[in-house]
Amino acid sequence: MTPRSTYQRLLGWGGQCVIALILAFMILPAIVVTIAAFNDKAILSFPPQAWSWRWFGRALAYPDFRDGFRNGLIVTAWASTIALLVGAMFAFVIDRYSFPFKRALEGVLVSPLVIPHFTIGLGFLILAAGIGWSRGFAVVVACHVVLVLPFVLRSVYVSLKNLDQGLEHAAASLGASPLRVLLTVTLPLLLPGLVSGWLFAAILSFNEFTASLFVTSQRTQTLPVAMYNYVREFADPSMAALSVMYIVATAALIAFANSFLGLGKVLNIEQRE
Amino acid sequence: MNQRPFLRSFTAPAALCALGFVAAMAAVLQYSLRAYVPGSLDPGGFTLANFADLLKPLYARVFLDTVGICALTAIATLIVGYPLAYALVRLGNPLLKSALLVVVVTPLFLGEVVRTYAWIIVLGNNGFINSLLRGLGLIDQPIQLMFTTFGVVVALVHVTLPVMVIMLAAALSHIDRDYVRAAESLGAGPIRVFLTITLPLSMPGIIAGVTTAFAWTFSAFATPQLIGGGRVNMISNLVYQLGFASFNFPFAAALCVAGLALTIAVLAVLRLMARPFENVEAH
Amino acid sequence: MVGHGKAAVHFDAVTKRFGDVVALDEVSLAIARGEFMTLLGPSGCGKTTLLKLAAGFLGPDRGSIAIDGKCVNDVPTYKREIGMMFQNYALFPHMNVADNVAYGLKTRRVPRQECRRRVAEVLALVKLKGMEDRKPRQLSGGQQQRVALARALVINPTVLLLDEPFSALDKNLRLDMQIEIKEIQRKLGLTTIFVTHDQSEALSLSDRMAVMSEGRIRQLGTPRDVYRRPRDRFVASFVGDSNRLRGRLVNVTAAGAVIALGNAQVKVPGEAFSGAAADHPVDLFVRPERLRLVDASAPGAICGQVVAQVYQGGHVDLQIDCKASGHDRLLVRSSGDQAIARWPLGAAVGIAIDADGCAAFPAE
Repeated sequence: MTPRSTYQRLLGWGGQCVIALILAFMILPAIVVTIAAFNDKAILSFPPQAWSWRWFGRALAYPDFRDGFRNGLIVTAWASTIALLVGAMFAFVIDRYSFPFKRALEGVLVSPLVIPHFTIGLGFLILAAGIGWSRGFAVVVACHVVLVLPFVLRSVYVSLKNLDQGLEHAAASLGASPLRVLLTVTLPLLLPGLVSGWLFAAILSFNEFTASLFVTSQRTQTLPVAMYNYVREFADPSMAALSVMYIVATAALIAFANSFLGLGKVLNIEQRE
Repeated sequence: MNQRPFLRSFTAPAALCALGFVAAMAAVLQYSLRAYVPGSLDPGGFTLANFADLLKPLYARVFLDTVGICALTAIATLIVGYPLAYALVRLGNPLLKSALLVVVVTPLFLGEVVRTYAWIIVLGNNGFINSLLRGLGLIDQPIQLMFTTFGVVVALVHVTLPVMVIMLAAALSHIDRDYVRAAESLGAGPIRVFLTITLPLSMPGIIAGVTTAFAWTFSAFATPQLIGGGRVNMISNLVYQLGFASFNFPFAAALCVAGLALTIAVLAVLRLMARPFENVEAH
Repeated sequence: MVGHGKAAVHFDAVTKRFGDVVALDEVSLAIARGEFMTLLGPSGCGKTTLLKLAAGFLGPDRGSIAIDGKCVNDVPTYKREIGMMFQNYALFPHMNVADNVAYGLKTRRVPRQECRRRVAEVLALVKLKGMEDRKPRQLSGGQQQRVALARALVINPTVLLLDEPFSALDKNLRLDMQIEIKEIQRKLGLTTIFVTHDQSEALSLSDRMAVMSEGRIRQLGTPRDVYRRPRDRFVASFVGDSNRLRGRLVNVTAAGAVIALGNAQVKVPGEAFSGAAADHPVDLFVRPERLRLVDASAPGAICGQVVAQVYQGGHVDLQIDCKASGHDRLLVRSSGDQAIARWPLGAAVGIAIDADGCAAFPAE
């Protein structure tokens, strides 16, 4: 309803065309992969001549994928939960108190954001070998915890900043001990931030590839590693079928999270009027 | 009365994690200074030979290529991502906004391998692009897109786009709308408003986005490995090959250390560039 | 001062809706050249919407807006010759004072030499000489406001739009800035539309004011007219303090209407009572300064009792409970401080009404 000149209108249309092109670029791989997944032939060609569901069945039945999925769940469950606990506790301490080496410790824990995953993976591999740690789940979990911790820290820290400390003071003035305040006031109020932080960490851990490639073994390989190995050996559309299932599941999860948590708020991109 | 309850108990686990992480990094550093013993998994004595080897043209080339790819990807992602971030923030319709957000954010959670694989199908000689162009009669022979730097960069841009859009959108959304209205009331048309108000005020976000894009791309492995196919090598691929093909972990560690130094240097430069734009937000 | 000829800004039956809410309902208003027009009303009354329509941030659903005689319904903001001051100043944080002020000149492609001259000129006018290189965040609130004013003035706009510009300032600064802006406005003969919810600001600054509520203009007139002869009960109670007394209509003649309150009788202008029957209940609105406290036994006085004394330095506010005002307490203003001793708490008092300056309306 704002009055606009013809010039502004033209710019608007042009802008919309550009956006449409960019969106097409973003969605292109997903669409292509979906079409390829239904290809009846075993060769990865485009466009498909015949259609079939069989690659979905093969992907679901392939033992390496199943094991990878299971391993991934184990690693993710452990890593994201540990990261949540450690991260939430540390975020609490960073927000409320000052103490020597606070900034240094925070810097160290946040640095994996800029350190390449292959370096971290190699580091944990060498460390494990050096102290005689076998290449089991423990190493992988430890590596993943370090990788997702920065995200948990940030998510919980933002929630803490938005928390009204007056509520905690009110509870204390009514006789609640610090522990009781924490459990009955702070924690419930932080819950959305904790849940979204945990969710974010879990998804990142489940999909993490590069570092996992270094620290996992044949026995403990996660789904992304299994997928990578498959692609290097075979060229049939099983991987495409798996990708489609991946995309559908993730999109559903994101849309669900958006309607409940409001992604705009979580990602901090609500427009200030 | 303990003025700071939970301080020790809440800091200890984090300190433990930090310790583990530092130990892992120290392990890399330590290995980089040890000699490579061919045929054995254990390293030899202390030496600086690994770092000396880095200066060989073969490896220097990989460093330059990596920096080039990262810079190219970061800039291309910025150019493609800015309009998207702008639309995301300025859009009025909440349904459209949600849909756009889901489309932008979802790829972020798919992981490197799935996304890279999809691009293989798009870029391959029998893939989407070539089939499309052949079907339209524009070409006879397939255009080689796989195993080229171009192919790798295109896929990397696609992988990095969500993160860039989110960071730019966060910066753009914090620009008070009144600045735009004030500029308009003073006679500034849409292009002038963008160039003199929106763009400068979004600079901190731009630099943050470019910094993150660079760091992420530097860390990329699956994309250059699968699409580059050994012909386009970034430092990440080289580290993997040295470690798992030749078991030359000491040299791989040296590469990691050098790569880290490079990343820090680039980030420091970007940080310096951000300096004049800091503290610009008065609200 | 106020010029003749074509109106500088003309709103013609403007309607604006936001979903189901009608923000402006067929509002018409003509603002003369050089006039300081205030839009006064509570939040949600439509005053800011009307200002945004003048600026071009919104377009009307119906009706038209004309600036300098030309219809601007389809003209976007950046093509209108307006100068605007925002509530939070909206000074561009990444530019210094000089660049902020020069922004409107650059968009009009004024050559650099002349730019510099005009910027220096206007900064001297707002008493900010020498501040060209400062950044907004280095300035105080009052200084930021002067820069915002300078930025709007330097382009010689057809109309100046002020969106509650004083609300962020503290009280003393606010009064000083109001006087300064009014002086500058008068000196330049600048047509101005001023939006505020503070009725004392409106009374002190305006040439004319439009009191608005629920998307319509309730009364348009000079501050004195609006204050002394409010047209309806909303204006009577919103502008200035007023007491509300319940009485009965005695009769209506050409001279006016006679209202009875207990033993007392008051004569008021009769426009509001055409067609009203005798004995109809009446709401009488009286300003605190029109009420005098007299002996309880004085003839023609309304009886009441002092329940509170509020010492305000230069005057004393007394709150009186009396039957005629129902549940509300009467507010009587007495200058000096003799009232504290003369009319102690609990004392029975009589209230005399000075009819000049009363407004009465049939009770609902």
